[in-house]
Amino acid sequence: MTTLPAISGRRRSADRAMRIVLGLLTLIALVPLVAIIYFLLKNGLSAFSWHFFSTDPTGNFFGDQGGVKSAILGTVEIVLMASVLAIPVGIAIAIYLVEYGQAGWFGNTVRYLIDVMTGVPSIVFGLFVYAALVVSKVGGQAYTAWKAGIAISLLMLPIVVKSSEVVLLLVPNGLREAALALGTPRWRVVMRVVLPAARPGIITGAILSIARGIGETAPLLFTTSLVLGTTTSPNAPMNALPIQIFADINSPNSQLVTRAWGAALTLVLMVLVLTLIARLYASRSRIA
Amino acid sequence: MEAGAISVPGGRAVLTRPFRERLADPVFKWILRILAGLVVVLIVFFFVFLYNKAHVALSKFGVFGFTFGETWDVGKEQFHVLPMLVGTLITSAIALLIGVPVAVAAAVFVTELCPRRLRGPLTILVDLLAAVPSVVYGLWAFVILVPNLEGTENWFGNTFSFIPFIGGGTPTPGPNYLISGLILAIMIVPIVSAISREVMATVPSDHKEAALALGMTRWEMIRTAVLPYSRAGITGASMLGLGRAVGETIAVAFVIGGSTSIGHHMLSQGYTLAAIIANEFQEAANDKLHAGALVAAGLVLFVMTLIINAVARAYVRHAERRNLSPPPAPEGTEPVTLGAVAT
Amino acid sequence: MTIRKRRAVMAATIAVVALGAVGGTVALAATALSGAGSTLAAPVYQQWGSDLKSKLALQYNPSGSGAGVAALQAGTVGFAASDPPLGPADKAGLKKGAVVQIPTVLGAITISYNLKGVKSGMFLDGPTIANIYLGKIKKWNDPAIQKLNKKTKLPNTAITVVHRSDSSGTTKGFTTFLAAYSPEWKSKVGVDKTVNWPVGTGAEKNAGVAAAVKQKGGSIGYVEQAYALQNHFTYANVKNAKGKFIAPTLPSTSAAATGIVPPKDLGFVAINSNAKGAYPIVSQTFIDAYQDSCAAGTMNPAEATAFGQFIKYGLSPAGQKKAQQLSYAGLPPKILAAANKAAATLKCNGKSIGA
Repeated sequence: MTTLPAISGRRRSADRAMRIVLGLLTLIALVPLVAIIYFLLKNGLSAFSWHFFSTDPTGNFFGDQGGVKSAILGTVEIVLMASVLAIPVGIAIAIYLVEYGQAGWFGNTVRYLIDVMTGVPSIVFGLFVYAALVVSKVGGQAYTAWKAGIAISLLMLPIVVKSSEVVLLLVPNGLREAALALGTPRWRVVMRVVLPAARPGIITGAILSIARGIGETAPLLFTTSLVLGTTTSPNAPMNALPIQIFADINSPNSQLVTRAWGAALTLVLMVLVLTLIARLYASRSRIA
Repeated sequence: MEAGAISVPGGRAVLTRPFRERLADPVFKWILRILAGLVVVLIVFFFVFLYNKAHVALSKFGVFGFTFGETWDVGKEQFHVLPMLVGTLITSAIALLIGVPVAVAAAVFVTELCPRRLRGPLTILVDLLAAVPSVVYGLWAFVILVPNLEGTENWFGNTFSFIPFIGGGTPTPGPNYLISGLILAIMIVPIVSAISREVMATVPSDHKEAALALGMTRWEMIRTAVLPYSRAGITGASMLGLGRAVGETIAVAFVIGGSTSIGHHMLSQGYTLAAIIANEFQEAANDKLHAGALVAAGLVLFVMTLIINAVARAYVRHAERRNLSPPPAPEGTEPVTLGAVAT
Repeated sequence: MTIRKRRAVMAATIAVVALGAVGGTVALAATALSGAGSTLAAPVYQQWGSDLKSKLALQYNPSGSGAGVAALQAGTVGFAASDPPLGPADKAGLKKGAVVQIPTVLGAITISYNLKGVKSGMFLDGPTIANIYLGKIKKWNDPAIQKLNKKTKLPNTAITVVHRSDSSGTTKGFTTFLAAYSPEWKSKVGVDKTVNWPVGTGAEKNAGVAAAVKQKGGSIGYVEQAYALQNHFTYANVKNAKGKFIAPTLPSTSAAATGIVPPKDLGFVAINSNAKGAYPIVSQTFIDAYQDSCAAGTMNPAEATAFGQFIKYGLSPAGQKKAQQLSYAGLPPKILAAANKAAATLKCNGKSIGA
């Protein structure tokens, strides 16, 4: 039997050093988070109250300025619309790229263009939707919630595609081949074997994209207006948290500024809740 | 194989599936193809619309003149974007240099080194950074980072004054390239980290166990079994991070200072392509030349992303070709031959 | 429960919650009035909208004066709110009919500073401020500043200049003022919503400038009056065209528009007014709309009636008083009369809308 050489002191200290470095770097990653959360809590927690969540902004400068109910509901509706569009389409494109588009000019071009899309500033997407849909008043109204949904879905799409592609590529080929060998048609292999295997990663990607889309202001400014009342119709302007924050944070009235911070804190909490729900749903998560 | 000896679902019938079932596969493939094709159509549309609006400015200054000229003066109606282009490159480079190592380190730590119980909470914490709206990042950076880092910046500049761009110079207090790069680094950490984590989690445990069984320390195992396997995924994650850094509009607008000249120093104020669109578009919307110039700046950003991605892609392909040989054994050990298996 | 059942229940719960939250609200009952533009006047218009909430539902997008005018040109809003008066290029883009410009309120631009031991009311004038912003005056106890403030001992602190990094009507007003007193500023930097500042730190929006000035001792910045008054800033008394040092109070802001004979389209500029007691750095703001919005297609009849009521209220004593409570200055009598006259010409499909 061969005896393995003992671990030299040098290797041992290298190991220890790297553990410390990695731990430190992780801590460094967390320091800004803690600082920002503290900042948000310090400025925004005082805005929280039942009134804050249950009333619409009134437009009053003094007195009862109202809460941000319409903004919260509007954000939920707009991001829901954007997700319904971006997430399935994004996953579908990722499936195409991994299963059918590994070689060949078409797959490579699509992959390349998706990479490019990730670098487009959100304001340019807003401008694009404004020029394409708002000015020509597609659908009857100029500023509508569904157009905001489209602008945001454009923002989310590349993130979903890219992250799904990465995890789909890591599904072992053996799984696919085994299923195919059993006579499963190709589409079933994808839907019943590959996708479930990659599910935790895909969900992570979906949440990342929602987190991005939920907080963007610029696309909203060009496609929907600041509406104070709660609206439900997708074919009309709708309020949303980022616009409300944008309008309030520049207000001369410090109470409205506090309301803006409260709204920002609400956004972060919303994504936190979403993350927790999604992790529960993906009960087979590899990490937790 | 005798017929009937082993019953496989479908059996011989699989080879003669009815027409409807056989149709499912090509239909599936074509639906996916069309959706993927939509991306191409979208981008073309995109380009056309933007070029339409930008034409006014591009024809006046010429594409090269616009991109590589240095003057941006609204009053004199001179629009050229080299300072912004340089600013985008500088801030994104800083963001990647700082953000990617930190993000990958956090991913490695969470998947390999930290106690099991901490994994869930740490994951959620790092991902939470992605939930913060960019307005908050911008304001936080302007109100907290800028004043608090001033002392450190001055010390840094004085100590390293012999290195051009990084040291020396007479920084004006306040927003600058460095802080912009820093806030971008913070913003890309959750994306790069989350995807790297997913990638590292799929490293087959037999690779890792084999490395450990061969006597490697934890770090050596990570270095030889986890990281090479994850390299492509980490690169993909970094490209997403780069995209975010290049396109981030509002947070950078707060801390870049809005200076339309090229800063010669890490601590100078400057501008980026995305930030100038954010700062000037709304007020310029009714001025065709100004608005056109801003849209043209967006186009320049678009083309820049096209080029960077092409270069990165070529590099990755080149690196992967070189890496088809297995990673070297860690130092201090002799290559072990286990009986019939030769390495 | 099997995994399938669990997931179905989860999906159903989420769907029910979402629909309940979204569907359980009542749709807007009042008529929608859409407008976009000036961030300066946004708080005032929002307040007026709230005061009139039984009659209309205001949808005002504070996207900036330029964006507002562009939106009106594209026909995507009913009215635009713009600080600068409409220029020839703007009017050329408003092709659907005659346009009415109605001034609504006035807002001053204060010169705020953060200087230990020096309270509000320091004396500054145009040439000095221009030289500070040109970088020629670098310290607070520079002879030029000290000469204007003989009674105050100014400290030997460096001046940190703060300016806007984003494009804004406030910058245009400020630079117009500087150009009037400094030929060097006029030729070297110029007048616009955004300029290439020779020195200083760039900050985003009023909030950014205010934060920057607050943070650093020795800073000076230009901040909108409502902001400065509501947050108790320290600001200077600026020398006006008549040679007097005036503080940016509401009366002195309104005074800036007295004695101005507005042009036919009411597009006046209130900077550097030579009226008595006028603060020299005052910004005007207008509401622009087609004279016949229904014919132009930017409003339907119900919206046009709502618009008429909105304008009527805004120009009424009640509306002007509300604006003052928010720290905006009301229009002086002559301009107010001219505004009312312009508003009276608004119509819908030929019929007056009673503004």
